[in-house]
Amino acid sequence: MTTTATKTLIEFDDHTVRQFMIASIFWAIVAMLVGVLVATQLAWFQLNFNLPWLTFGRLRPLHTNAAIFAFVGNMMFAGIYYSTQRLVKARTASDVLSKIHFWGWQAIIVAAAITLPLGFSRGKEYAELIWPINIAVAVIWVVFAINFFWTLAKRNEPSLYVAIWFYIATIITVAMLYIVNHLSIPTSFTHSYPVFGGVQDALVQWWYGHNAVAFFLTTPILGIMYYFLPKAADRPVYSYRLSIVHFWSLVFVYIWAGPHHLLNTSLPVWLQSLGMLFSLMLWAPSWGGMLNGLLTLRGAWHKLRTDPVLKFFAAGVTFYGMATFEGPLMAIRAVNALSHYSDWTIGHVHSGTLGWNGFMAAGMFYWLAPRLWDRRLHSTSLANMHFWLGLVGILLYVASMWVSGVTQGLMLSATKEAGTVLAYPNFIDAVTSTKALMHIRALGGVMYLAGFFMLAWNIWKTARGARAVNGTIEVFVEQPTHVAGPMGLRGGFINPPVIYSLLIILFTTGWAALTGFASGMCLTALIATFLGMSAHIEFSGATWGQWYERLLENSLPFSVLTAVAVFIGGIVQIVPTVIINKAESIEGRRQIPYTPLELAGRDIYIREGCYNCHSQQIRTLVGDVLRYGDYSKMGESIYDHPFQWGSKRTGPDLAREGGKYPNVWHFHHMRDPRQISVGSTMPNYPWLFTQPTESDLLPHKLAVQRRLGVPYPEMTKEEIARDVATQEGVIAADLKTAGADVEPDREIVALIAYMQKLGKADKITPPEPAKTTAAQ
Amino acid sequence: MFQRILVEDWQRTLTMISFAIFGIVFLLMLVRVLRLPREQVRHLENLPLQNDHDEKSR
Repeated sequence: MTTTATKTLIEFDDHTVRQFMIASIFWAIVAMLVGVLVATQLAWFQLNFNLPWLTFGRLRPLHTNAAIFAFVGNMMFAGIYYSTQRLVKARTASDVLSKIHFWGWQAIIVAAAITLPLGFSRGKEYAELIWPINIAVAVIWVVFAINFFWTLAKRNEPSLYVAIWFYIATIITVAMLYIVNHLSIPTSFTHSYPVFGGVQDALVQWWYGHNAVAFFLTTPILGIMYYFLPKAADRPVYSYRLSIVHFWSLVFVYIWAGPHHLLNTSLPVWLQSLGMLFSLMLWAPSWGGMLNGLLTLRGAWHKLRTDPVLKFFAAGVTFYGMATFEGPLMAIRAVNALSHYSDWTIGHVHSGTLGWNGFMAAGMFYWLAPRLWDRRLHSTSLANMHFWLGLVGILLYVASMWVSGVTQGLMLSATKEAGTVLAYPNFIDAVTSTKALMHIRALGGVMYLAGFFMLAWNIWKTARGARAVNGTIEVFVEQPTHVAGPMGLRGGFINPPVIYSLLIILFTTGWAALTGFASGMCLTALIATFLGMSAHIEFSGATWGQWYERLLENSLPFSVLTAVAVFIGGIVQIVPTVIINKAESIEGRRQIPYTPLELAGRDIYIREGCYNCHSQQIRTLVGDVLRYGDYSKMGESIYDHPFQWGSKRTGPDLAREGGKYPNVWHFHHMRDPRQISVGSTMPNYPWLFTQPTESDLLPHKLAVQRRLGVPYPEMTKEEIARDVATQEGVIAADLKTAGADVEPDREIVALIAYMQKLGKADKITPPEPAKTTAAQ
Repeated sequence: MFQRILVEDWQRTLTMISFAIFGIVFLLMLVRVLRLPREQVRHLENLPLQNDHDEKSR
């Protein structure tokens, strides 16, 4: 085929890069300010100000969402737009889509910043945003995807550099995770119930939650590392081959590791083993990536003394290595027994977010600013000061959380008298023992925030009065642009390497999963496939490498293969749990559905974000069982949409709270926790005593619950109202007898109704299953 | 005290199948990567650096 080369000048769209970068810095400061506030609230409860929209339970989701989606999200988009255009030697496909992407994403963040403090929440971590915002996120993500893949389609560089692979994996996987975990049925414009419940919801949530870290906070930043680190060091990546292994291993392994967030819980044991196994396997690719990054600096280490960009990158990659070493360690069941529900987890995620994401962002911004505004960085000294201040801030934060977490873990699981009695029966002892560490954590956060103020000032001074410039490049546009020729979907799949791979996976699965003759046949077929493949290579002289090289130049089949890699992990984990027969999987206890008033109380519990500090899951551990009662069974939360197992215990577990204390105890505790529990850091909730319970929507909410499989009887609107009034009256009368006067229709009554229901379940003798195995 | 039921045999094999699938994918990828032509590796690893010579600021 003849080619005609035309020399063309391409101007990159760096305006969008500048916009995302400025937005990222702005939202970083917002997210960190809120982070510092919520950290100090854990040391001084008075900073909750008795205002609903400033309480810890509502602000913590704002902090996490702002840090992930606003700060890192905008940073990621800036890095992707800048590097992709240069790596593929083409301007972003559509300026209009870029604008829609930028302004749509900012509108989503503003909507989140308004709705979360107002208490509009789905009650699932990092997935709190209400359903209309979820739809907006999906739409804007699709706009981004179209713009990205369209740019790849019109590229002038045939090969796809490894950074582009990481971006493709991010786009595909985040879309899949976000959509599945946000499947809900609306009950109003601002409220919905997730379609999954109990253990299913727990599994889907942490499949999403863990992979939000993997594919939103890690893979795009790795792509950024593979582009910007060689640029800053002015030398190619240490090993391109290692980067390929890093990519495929990471993409294939990460998706399986979600269940490590649910170790020692009522999640099926095989899933816990799966999560732990794949988490441990993550050590290899993660450290491969870290070493590849650090070794790229070989011969350039002397530059670290003076170049703040390289300082940030080197420290960021090191933090990546440390966090990805710590993560698998915490996924070992025995270690997790100590670390889970404690501040250790908080320290771990902050070493990742502040150290890896924050420092990579800072390095990238300091590198980009002089190029985007065509002027030297205002102050290198200030950038260096930012580095040291931020580094000391992270170390103070993480070290204090480690000490606090280990202290909490040890105290709450400690027993005496041959393991029959708790050494520290009062939960509050663990809270007061670690209070001083909360001050150190807040100090570390303030130092890190101060560093970002310096960055904002430095970049503002660099850009102020300077001319914003767009990069340009001269390229020879050739026809056809694809040296190896386009493959198309058909060419990507109907070829020997893919067919042999699929056959090998199919027969291996059959060999392991089937029994007897069928298993033997699969083994025979597997051996035959290997022999056939060897013969094919030998006699046909097949150069299958050509297929892979063509794949690297064809983004569509490459994207589909990446999707297949992540789909397999998701399907193997989620499908068996979703199709599990509920009747056989309740472990002897089946939750009693909430009454309408209790359901209203549960919605208040979710609105106030109680799950941020209280779990509802008693683990299969001695300390948990002695403190809270018999360990939680799968059946005890099957009707919980959403599940509320939690991930952190700043306060005690509430799985069996019902009936533990009289109504009046909860009444006083919610008004002023310190009246009941001296030293508590829980906020006061005075508004619950004045706001009426929202019961108008209950008929609709119950109808949705019925559709989700909760066995509510058909009830008319009047019957529901009567049921609510009756239960309110009983609780209010009981409170009055105990000396606490409150109107029956106030929210505190509904919340007490819910709290008193926690842990109530029918004892069921399960039908004899066909095959059961004793485990543990 | 902590006896757990409900684990069915076919689910247990999923852990092993998962491991096997990963092993196969990993090995196939490793073989492929090790056989990647040296010139192509050099071209790919220099992609981020190429623009430094061509790129101009306006």
